[in-house]
Amino acid sequence: MPDVCLYFQVHQPNRLIPYDFFRIGEHAFYEDDGVNGEILSKVAEKCYLPANALFQKAIRESRGRFRMALSISGTVIEQMEHHRPDVLKSFQDLVATGNVELLAETYYHSLAILHSKKEFERQVERHLDKLEEVFHIRPRVFRNTELIYNNAIAAQAETMGFDGILAEGVPWVLNGQSPNYLYRAPQVSQLKTLLRNVDLSDDLGFRFSDKTWSEWPLTPEKLAGWIKNAPGDVVNLFMDYETIGEHQWKDTGIFEFWEKLPDAVLDEDIKWVTPSEVVDLFRASKEYDCHWPTSWADAERDLSAWMGNVMQQEAIAKIHKLEEEVLAAKDPDLTHAWAKMQTSDHFYWMSTKGGTDGSVHQYFSPYGSAYDAYIYFMNALADLQIRLKRIREAKAAAAG
Amino acid sequence: MNRLRVLKLGWEFPPLINGGLGIACLGLSQALAKHVDLRVIVPRAAPDSGFEGFQLTGLNNLRVEDLQTVEGRYRYESFAQIDRVPIHLDPYDSDETTVERVRMEPGGEIRFSQTTRNQLEQFKMGELYGADLSTKVIEFSKIAAKLALQTDFDIVHAHDWMTFLAGVEVKKATGKPLVLHVHASQYDRAGVDARGWIYDLEKYGMEQADIVIPVSRYTGQICSGHYGIDPAKIRPVHNGAEPVKVFSTKKKFPEKLVLFLGRLTAQKGPEFFLEIASKVLEQNKNVRFVMAGTGERLKPLIESGAFRGLGGYFHFTGFLNKEKVNELLSMTDIYCMPSVSEPFGLSALEAAQFGIPAVISKQSGVAEVLKGALKADFWDVELMAKHIIDLLTDDELRERVIKQAEQDMAASTWDAAAETVVEIYRELVP
Repeated sequence: MPDVCLYFQVHQPNRLIPYDFFRIGEHAFYEDDGVNGEILSKVAEKCYLPANALFQKAIRESRGRFRMALSISGTVIEQMEHHRPDVLKSFQDLVATGNVELLAETYYHSLAILHSKKEFERQVERHLDKLEEVFHIRPRVFRNTELIYNNAIAAQAETMGFDGILAEGVPWVLNGQSPNYLYRAPQVSQLKTLLRNVDLSDDLGFRFSDKTWSEWPLTPEKLAGWIKNAPGDVVNLFMDYETIGEHQWKDTGIFEFWEKLPDAVLDEDIKWVTPSEVVDLFRASKEYDCHWPTSWADAERDLSAWMGNVMQQEAIAKIHKLEEEVLAAKDPDLTHAWAKMQTSDHFYWMSTKGGTDGSVHQYFSPYGSAYDAYIYFMNALADLQIRLKRIREAKAAAAG
Repeated sequence: MNRLRVLKLGWEFPPLINGGLGIACLGLSQALAKHVDLRVIVPRAAPDSGFEGFQLTGLNNLRVEDLQTVEGRYRYESFAQIDRVPIHLDPYDSDETTVERVRMEPGGEIRFSQTTRNQLEQFKMGELYGADLSTKVIEFSKIAAKLALQTDFDIVHAHDWMTFLAGVEVKKATGKPLVLHVHASQYDRAGVDARGWIYDLEKYGMEQADIVIPVSRYTGQICSGHYGIDPAKIRPVHNGAEPVKVFSTKKKFPEKLVLFLGRLTAQKGPEFFLEIASKVLEQNKNVRFVMAGTGERLKPLIESGAFRGLGGYFHFTGFLNKEKVNELLSMTDIYCMPSVSEPFGLSALEAAQFGIPAVISKQSGVAEVLKGALKADFWDVELMAKHIIDLLTDDELRERVIKQAEQDMAASTWDAAAETVVEIYRELVP
């Protein structure tokens, strides 16, 4: 009988204002502070606050036997500091129970690893520092943005001293093997890879409220039964925190479900474990050989959610191209503004995919279309370029 | 000489306008009114739009009783040859439209019918261009012919294809000479292969007309070459340009600005502008390109720009109102109009008023007016790019182009246009 490892992602991006051509060169603040604060508050009321309270209670009533992990991006921590300190406090209280493990990620929830190792390391370090400052915790397990993963990323995580890394259990890489074991990437010696159990995670994340699903309604007992009968060492349930109350609304019964799940699992004698406990408990005897980057996004489970069309490719390439010059300017505010534009959501909104995935992209987009997302982003980028040019010229003038 | 009496047929008229046609009709009407007695009939006029010097009638403001005196006096000859067809054409639509190909069907005479309240009602609501455009064109012709029978005039002057049928009907009903004004043809909108109901109507109208006035020699060549109209009755008259209040705004960025302004449709050549921008940026990064406007090509253009890696230097503004357009003009350094076929191209003149040198396609009417503008064939992106780079780097050239444009502008008035038009009238009614 496997253990069960639960991890939720907590993240909010900094949405841009409709940055039109006429602002270029004069409007140096790109973000829509009002909208960002509003959405944070909405999600906090619908999800973060009630879910935190729910899990506080589960930890207390199970006398510590319920355990879980969160990964909280740097951008959402900043938003909470700025707009809703009470929500941040609620996360701090939850983490202070000692039963909630925090994971490391890129501060800006970015795709930096695909473009610059240096920038990637900078962002991971920054995130570690932020967690230290806010939660007094230093994570041992890393999870990359949207579970983007391949052999090289695993190797990079090991180089940076992590003991474990999270990844999507992609069927065509698993090739018939179960995701419920720890795996090892080729060319790493210590680092263990935890694979998301796609079926069970998506039962909770996507199918939960689908009345056409043959297993609807899903009860905590039913899920506990499935876990009990699953093969392997550990079932990894990885999903967005917003699944509770935001993606699955309150009236679907999602809160009642999560209230009962901790006990339903314990009643079957299944143990709740966190990612670092998994790493300590189990051996990684199997190899998971993943060459191409995979992720947990869209049906493709690849990078196409962010880099699938030419607009996305150009935008992401151009923002990263500024790295050297931005860092050389040694202006923390400028660097921060630039890095926030690396947040993966900006590119996600530029997707022109159709079908179910396309409507998910559109659902999360603050803009009218993928084209608007691209235009506003590129205009803001043009402004950033102009600021860099001015700095360059001022420096040249000072030197000359 | 007696003062001439002119009956003018138009389709759109300020303030109810979709594009440049209404603005040109107003400009010419105001100037003509100084020389002739003028009555203008349009499908729809704003109820309180009083214009000085001429009488404006919108069918939307007409009552059935107004036509009582002429009911029964005329049979519609032209309709005997044209079958009513469903057609959807909106020249200013932002989505792709298809023009249905139709046949003219010879048939029996259509008997006179009494104008009904319903016929007049249709001009009060809906779009001027839309799903029922063909019906509107035909109903407009019938009613215009009746109104003409009530009016004393010497000459009828119709503007663009929507009113050509009406012009012919008026000529047949009254025996007065017909002048057709071609602001744009189906060739400009749909390209070389343009055929169909609209093409047929344009050709039929121009054949029946006594004189055809294209807005440029370039458009005159299309009338004779593409429509087979006798060059002897073609008299090009250039549009005028209303003086605009010009001002200049300091750019908020250090780079120069090259502007494309217009509907993003294949005939305006936005793809060529993208290619030109790409060529210029290869050599000179000290410049930004702005594509202002919207249309069915917008999305493919954005993707094409991204593919070429122009983002950050090539900006799309979407639709802009007049105020924003002027703000943009006030900071523009070079105006670029690579139209595939542009009957006139008023926007280049407006840009010239702002002191902006122009790089324009030879396939445009305004190329005949702006003698100093730098020109190239629309497809010759190499030369267009060279012109832009020259203007960016050679201040003397830039000054020369601007100076020449100032002189050309001075001659481009509606008064000058109206005087030529009156001379043309006098050929028909000495």
